[in-house]
Amino acid sequence: MSSEPKEDVAKQDPREAVDRSCRGPVLFLAFSAVTWLLVYSVFAMLAGVKVHASGMMADSAWLAYGRIQPASQLALQFGFLVQLGLAVSAWILSHRGKTVLVDGGYLIFGGMLWNIGVTLGFLGILTGNASGLEGLQMPGKVLPLLFFGFVLVGLSIVQTNNRRTDEEMSPAQWFLFAATLWLPWVLAGSYLLIHFFNAKGVMANIVDWWFIQNFARVYLTFVGLGTLFHFLPALSGRQLMGRGYAQFAFWVMLLFGSVGGVGPGAPVPAWLPALSTVSAVFYFFGVIAVWVSLNQTISGASAADTADSLAYNLMRLAALIFISMGVLNVFFAFPGPGSVAEFTTYGPAMKLLFNLGFIGLILVAALYHIFPSLAGIDFSPKMTRIQTTAIVFGVLGATLPSALGGLMSGDAVLGSGFYFASLGDLLLLAGSAILFLNFLGAILFSIKNCGCLAGICCRGEKKEANA
Amino acid sequence: MTIGLSFLLGLLAGSVSYFMLGLWWPLAVLLGLFAWLAFGLLDVKMDSTFTLLGGMLLVFCVSLSGMVLRANDQLSGLQYVDTQDVDGTEFRYPVPPLGQARYGEKIYKASGCVACHTQQVTHESVALDVKAMAGEKNLAAVQEAASRFYKLTGRKASGGAALGLPAGEWETIVTGANAADASKARNFLAAAGASVDVQVRFRGEDLMHNDLQNPEGRNWGRRRSVAQDYLFAEPPMLGSVRIGPDLANIGARYNRDMLMSVLLDPKTLKKDSKMPQHGFLFEQAEKDEQRQPTREAEALVDYLLSLKSANYPLPEAPVDQPFTSSMPKPATAPAEAADTAKPDEAGK
Repeated sequence: MSSEPKEDVAKQDPREAVDRSCRGPVLFLAFSAVTWLLVYSVFAMLAGVKVHASGMMADSAWLAYGRIQPASQLALQFGFLVQLGLAVSAWILSHRGKTVLVDGGYLIFGGMLWNIGVTLGFLGILTGNASGLEGLQMPGKVLPLLFFGFVLVGLSIVQTNNRRTDEEMSPAQWFLFAATLWLPWVLAGSYLLIHFFNAKGVMANIVDWWFIQNFARVYLTFVGLGTLFHFLPALSGRQLMGRGYAQFAFWVMLLFGSVGGVGPGAPVPAWLPALSTVSAVFYFFGVIAVWVSLNQTISGASAADTADSLAYNLMRLAALIFISMGVLNVFFAFPGPGSVAEFTTYGPAMKLLFNLGFIGLILVAALYHIFPSLAGIDFSPKMTRIQTTAIVFGVLGATLPSALGGLMSGDAVLGSGFYFASLGDLLLLAGSAILFLNFLGAILFSIKNCGCLAGICCRGEKKEANA
Repeated sequence: MTIGLSFLLGLLAGSVSYFMLGLWWPLAVLLGLFAWLAFGLLDVKMDSTFTLLGGMLLVFCVSLSGMVLRANDQLSGLQYVDTQDVDGTEFRYPVPPLGQARYGEKIYKASGCVACHTQQVTHESVALDVKAMAGEKNLAAVQEAASRFYKLTGRKASGGAALGLPAGEWETIVTGANAADASKARNFLAAAGASVDVQVRFRGEDLMHNDLQNPEGRNWGRRRSVAQDYLFAEPPMLGSVRIGPDLANIGARYNRDMLMSVLLDPKTLKKDSKMPQHGFLFEQAEKDEQRQPTREAEALVDYLLSLKSANYPLPEAPVDQPFTSSMPKPATAPAEAADTAKPDEAGK
């Protein structure tokens, strides 16, 4: 860019320059995320089938249910959610800050390291090297790789945020900036405590619960909320109302989302479950503040541009899921209801609803909006409609029956819950497969269309022409 | 938000966590202070990265020290304790997994058994028994204290024995009381000069079945699990979902043959079991031969048989139910085996 004359830069639409700087890195991260979503849905489907047909694939150790299930969770959380979250964060922060993405190369290189780390972790679990914990289920040796990958990506995102044009940061920027810094801190802290200082006995579990809590309640929630705080006003063409509420929510959710997550009956000192209840109650005040702010912003609004109405409505659905899950979470954080739900399929079902129904839907909706401006071509509208329907019903189908079945706790109900959940898994598999094909198709088409390949081959000729 | 209002909210957070939830007092103070800080921060204009970064670092330190390091302070001092086996022999607890069991733990971890099985026996409530002993001098005062307690709580003297309290002998004042009543009884009696002994009994679905006191018991343990039980686990695979039964005490419930048959085909013991077969732990030399367990399967079963943690009384987790009440006998014929497996229904 530096070689171009200054008048040319001034004449260009700034958005286009920003988009050009985002194109490679963001599309790379988004594409690997969509691939991991496909991997997740294949393995989640397999795991569901193994519950019904106990004799199936019984002779291959690496397809045991206990290996497929945590591996699929890894693919979903670290492969899909984190990477798409980073892609969307990078795009939003550079657009909000009205600046080009700084050092996009770090983003690509860090993303590659992250992908290698997740792949090694995935294969490690399948070959029987899992750590035995639930949040950090991957082999411990993979964690430093993930950490450095994330730090490289984070370097680019934080620098981009620091180079913003307006000094004042908006709520979307606080949330995304905080999320980008928070995950490496927590990842490094848990790695050191569990694998380096060799936490003894239940200390390993306490650190693991601390990681799960921070990963879900702070990192993923902040990515989701930051995206909502940017897109809901932007797509409906309104101003974000209630900045004070957002600020309240930010600090309250950061403070109380970072402690807790210990079940009511866990074999640990009794103050830990009590602390979890306290923090869940205070965290709920943050959820209410988010709801007030978003409700003031978008009540009665619809998407300003009809092309964005799908993304806008998906985000509203995700916000609704977030609020209802907030109410359920605070209810089941109390020891009485909590011990009813503890150890049932309610827990994993709500975790999946959080991962896919809240964060996943928001990020996919954001992808629908940003993809055309980056690739220069939109997703096929028909396929997009089909895949969105399949994903939404897949998520609801895979979670609600098993959550209800878990609460009812009857064996028969539990069984039927599992069958419904498998139907949901099947829909999810279809949805993510179509999303993957859609993405791949659009990329291939745009490469063919815009002559980017030709541009790469004939760069020399162009320079001559310019001269 | 003004300083005053945020201070009030901080005070509220601190006092709620101390008085209502019984947190350790320095933690409650810390929580109050940081709630004050967090609410106070609402005044700060968040336009600089350093404001954000400073607040975040502070919160991170609070979170790490308040939850993780504090727990480490408390738990890192765990040591062997003396306990009794079922037959009364004393030994030092816990016992690290011996021989093949350590390898079996690795197999358990690698196969992801933790995805469906927990290793934690929980309790839902406690029942307290209060006993008292009076001397000759304060007999009348203790008797009066006991009758005052009965009048106040509406509880009846068990068999009228307590009112005829003989001097120099332990006498049960109340059984199965809740925490509030038990502490009342203890305070009254202690004030009257009696020696008082309070015994804790755990109640809950996971614990031993007992027709009168715990009719819904699943026989998964004689007491709840505590941190002491996992001193040598690498790492403790506590689990969060029970698609199958809890395994914290599986070594006391099942024998080697039953465990082997469950691993090969779970449906032999329980028809509607959702557990997948673990054929990869067995090998078949020739086609017509029966499948033989591999070294891994033997080690895994060794490990499972070593899991007996919820049996032995500990100071923080006493045992009140006899071991033999409804335990299956160690060696059972196949027909009996099906019967004894019944109490361990999978899932809730």
